[in-house]
Amino acid sequence: MREPLSQAVDTNTVVTGLSHPWRSCIALLKVLPLCAALLFPSLYSMSATAKSEGVAAPSYSIESAAATSGLLLDVVRAGKRLISVGDHGHILYSDDEGQQWLQARVPTQQLLTAVYFVDDRYGWAVGHDALILATRDGGATWTRQYDDIEQESPLLDIWFQDRNHGYAVGAYGMLLETLDGGKEWQRIDDRLDNEDGYHLNAISAIGDAGIFIVGEMGVMFRSADWGQSWEVLAGPYQGSLFGIVAGSQPDHVLVYGLRGHIFRSADFGESWQETRVQTDSGSLQFGLASGTLLSNGDVLIVGHGGTVLRSSNAGESFSVSNRADRTSLAGVAEGTAGSLILVGQNGIYQTDANGNDLLDKQ
Amino acid sequence: MTSKARNNPAAVLERLIFNNRPAVIALCVLISIFLFWNAAQVRPETSFEKMIPLKHPYIEKMLEHRNDLANLGNSVRISVESIEGDIFNKDYMETLRQISDEAFYIPGVDRSGLRSLWSPNVRWTEVTEEGFAGGEVIPQTYDGSAESLEALRSNILKSGQVGRLVGNNFKSSIVEIPLMEEFPDPDDQSKMLKLDYQDFSHSLEDKIREKYQLQNPNVKIHIIGFAKKVGDLIDGLFGVALFFAFAIGITFVLLYWFTKCIKSTLAVLFSTLVAVGWQLGLLHLMGFGLDPYSMLVPFLVFAIGISHGVQKINGIAMASGTALDALTAARMAFRQLFVPGLVALSSDAVGFITLLLIDIGVIRELAIGASVGVAVIILTNLIFLPVLISYIGISKKAVRISRENAVKDSPLWRLISNFASPKVAPISIAIAASALLFGLWYGQNLKIGDLDQGAPELHADSRYNLDNDFVIHNYSTSSDVLVVMVKTPAEGCSSYSTLKAMDDLSWRMENTPGVQSVVSMVTVSKQVIKGMNEGNLKWETLSRNQHVLNNSIARADALYNTDCSLAPLLVFLEDHKAETLTTAVAAVEDFAAKNNTDQHQFLLAAGNAGIEAATNDVIAASETMMLIAVYSAVIIMCLITFRSVAATICVILPLVLTSVLGNALMAWMGIGVKVATLPVIALGVGIGVDYGIYIYSRLETFLRMGMPLQEAYYQTLKSTGKAVLFTGVCLAIGVATWIFSAIKFQADMGLMLTFMFLWNMFGAIWLLPALARFLIKPERLRQ
Repeated sequence: MREPLSQAVDTNTVVTGLSHPWRSCIALLKVLPLCAALLFPSLYSMSATAKSEGVAAPSYSIESAAATSGLLLDVVRAGKRLISVGDHGHILYSDDEGQQWLQARVPTQQLLTAVYFVDDRYGWAVGHDALILATRDGGATWTRQYDDIEQESPLLDIWFQDRNHGYAVGAYGMLLETLDGGKEWQRIDDRLDNEDGYHLNAISAIGDAGIFIVGEMGVMFRSADWGQSWEVLAGPYQGSLFGIVAGSQPDHVLVYGLRGHIFRSADFGESWQETRVQTDSGSLQFGLASGTLLSNGDVLIVGHGGTVLRSSNAGESFSVSNRADRTSLAGVAEGTAGSLILVGQNGIYQTDANGNDLLDKQ
Repeated sequence: MTSKARNNPAAVLERLIFNNRPAVIALCVLISIFLFWNAAQVRPETSFEKMIPLKHPYIEKMLEHRNDLANLGNSVRISVESIEGDIFNKDYMETLRQISDEAFYIPGVDRSGLRSLWSPNVRWTEVTEEGFAGGEVIPQTYDGSAESLEALRSNILKSGQVGRLVGNNFKSSIVEIPLMEEFPDPDDQSKMLKLDYQDFSHSLEDKIREKYQLQNPNVKIHIIGFAKKVGDLIDGLFGVALFFAFAIGITFVLLYWFTKCIKSTLAVLFSTLVAVGWQLGLLHLMGFGLDPYSMLVPFLVFAIGISHGVQKINGIAMASGTALDALTAARMAFRQLFVPGLVALSSDAVGFITLLLIDIGVIRELAIGASVGVAVIILTNLIFLPVLISYIGISKKAVRISRENAVKDSPLWRLISNFASPKVAPISIAIAASALLFGLWYGQNLKIGDLDQGAPELHADSRYNLDNDFVIHNYSTSSDVLVVMVKTPAEGCSSYSTLKAMDDLSWRMENTPGVQSVVSMVTVSKQVIKGMNEGNLKWETLSRNQHVLNNSIARADALYNTDCSLAPLLVFLEDHKAETLTTAVAAVEDFAAKNNTDQHQFLLAAGNAGIEAATNDVIAASETMMLIAVYSAVIIMCLITFRSVAATICVILPLVLTSVLGNALMAWMGIGVKVATLPVIALGVGIGVDYGIYIYSRLETFLRMGMPLQEAYYQTLKSTGKAVLFTGVCLAIGVATWIFSAIKFQADMGLMLTFMFLWNMFGAIWLLPALARFLIKPERLRQ
């Protein structure tokens, strides 16, 4: 019952299989309360909770004051806006550099794992139940595009080439492609040589060179033709890799994962060098979850134990700092004037360049 | 008064008693031997079940699932603080090791569950390329060197114990000792011993706190936990018992000042103590122990007994003026005072009986105990005491003083009688009316329940509560826990739908004001699933795969029962104020109403906050009912005694003013309406009405004799004012000592009762004549 609603809301599309006029009437009736909901969100949130017992009613994420301190897994920019996704279907956005966060209307309560925007309006988010959500208004409202509860596993990352063409990756080798902005998603797992079905943890474009995927047990895949054909790489590491950062130079790739492991390549993954991060008590042992390339060319990687790593030399070496609260971090975005927006276990932090809080969190 | 018919019941009783004086004495001696022997066996009792409303649905649910919740933890936490520097130094770790070892050997400790940095069950884990790696936080190779302390620091970070076993600021760590309610006798393994909370609490003090603070001046020890609290409470109870001696001492002095006769002073004290002994003996015969609330009863019985004894002595002294010998004087006084005494004592008892309406064990026992006590006073101080005095007599000096006072003019009473004057009365009424309005307005701030931080039974600045504060501030835990019981069919607690619903409830609660955090098997499940996926935060959620879920809860031992049909959801609250509890409980009930299915039901409530929510519920429901009951009772009593609505209003209105001001005082002092303060209202009104009855009955007599109001009031004060004043002071002293109790609720009770007793007395003296000025028509009484 979820599908018709989400498709009907997607007003630009012609809903497949919806030939009978009654069905469109029903679909319209279902949209009406939603329109009302957009106008009177508080009113609707009451009726939405009241309806949540019914199996048929779509369960929306609940507006919650504690959302900014709950588990959040990714944070990105869409133009001037910051958008973060996380637990209970929470999608938060801020138009003032993270001072205040608003909660978007999201038709799920599942844990969302990643979010990607191609421009300041079009974006997608993925999560558990192999869920894919889409927005066309810069993240304020979202619709469901895909889910697969039977799969019993999550999608873990998503990347779009433009408003139409994109890929989502997930657990047990799940790979999905769309050519029409998500109206239809195709399972294309077998394009990868991944017989053991290793988790695919991250996907990213490496400049103009192509796209790159990393995953469980150090698996790596690359595609120079934007996803039509994929090549499996013999990676430098047998432990899991959780993320990719494209360097500021062409063909530069940084991948990172378990126990503080970081590897860099200057040739789109042909050859790799390891970067060991040294701390006061030996080499860094915290798992690294997410990273980003800052506008000044610095690379920033965050992870467990409140770890915030920064490299000013394309990943050849990193300075390390750990947040005082040692909380696990899952995402990072660039703020203004050298500040950072971090997200993780305990929500959002506005921090200085080293990950220390700018303001006392409430 | 002396012209009463010879055949009225008091006269018959008088002949029966005074013609058989040796038999009366012998009977009293026999009863005393029997009851004192019983009294000696009364033991302090701390059954906490009696302090909670057993019939409340929350409590019924809790008791129904008590066994499933049993391993939720009766444990004591010893936090060892390093005063200078952090815990990473050799001396600190050595002291911690010794404390940990010492605690291990205290009888009653569940040794396998003991946790400290030194115990082998505290481990660090880490995800590596090969899977999980882990080890003891303090490895075998630890030698106290700088390197091993540095390794310890990193192990602690990896162990996830910061905020649990290790303080957030690394300046303290905890030794957690789970307790067994029953454990094998160390000397004879086949015998089971019951954990003695007081002994246990004392061994913590002697063997841990004192010993190690002395041994290592750089450590400070904080101990919290249910067992420690109960131990401290029992100690506090004995403290109150000591106050009894103090109350006797003061009363002795006052009695002597009042009677000017050592013989009658001793006689009154003696017969009153006999009453207390009988009351305690009967208590034991009825199968009750002495709990922290019924502890008040001996004090009340003592105070009421003394005040009635004084009335007797006063009467006998006055009668001695005309009587030939002590026996005749005693007989005259008996005949004159038996009926008013009986009425006053009955009104006390009626006040107490209304307390039976409240469905909380301790309050009911208090009601029964106090009623029995009052009945006993009728025997000892209305019957036994006059017989005793008839043998020993009253000193000539006392008789002379009483006779002189009867004719002498008293400037004090003359002055006070102005309260009845036409000029002062309207002012008094105006003041009283504004005080009433103010009291009603300010009394709106009155809250239900306990309002202070920490253990509400103990003072905010008691050592236990200071220790509790320390732990709350330095660790990520709270001491106020509301437990929601999630009930499913057997083996059903790990299904996705149930866990998902629990997760939804957890999040709903975490968004509820006043909720600090929520812990349940879902918390563990998510952490384990994340752990199984290499610690990746993107997996920190419930899986739809049943095998994964079953696997994930394997380590959540205490968070579901053996057949997986009940799982507690622990909601940690910021405090236990009534609003916090109401909000939290309402959120759970709302959620339960919408989400309960055949597969899972969300049931309230266990945990200290759950019990308190239920108690508050009962208190709030009982408060109005009890006020109506106690006031109806005293109004009927007055109507029967005086057969006049006007007179009843004169007696009752001052009581109403006291009750209203009492509420305002509680609001101002930050004392909530709770198990301890609810009985105060009934006790205060029940005993407070005595003053009005004494004063009004005398006043009426003088008015009937044709005196104008103010003169009649002057005569009233002269004959009974001193006794009323003395009664008020006596009662107040009996309970005022409680203000110094180490136990908070006893102190609150003492404070409120002292206020009620004194202010009721003041109200009767000040307001009753002013009301009479407007309501009573002396001409009509004279007809």
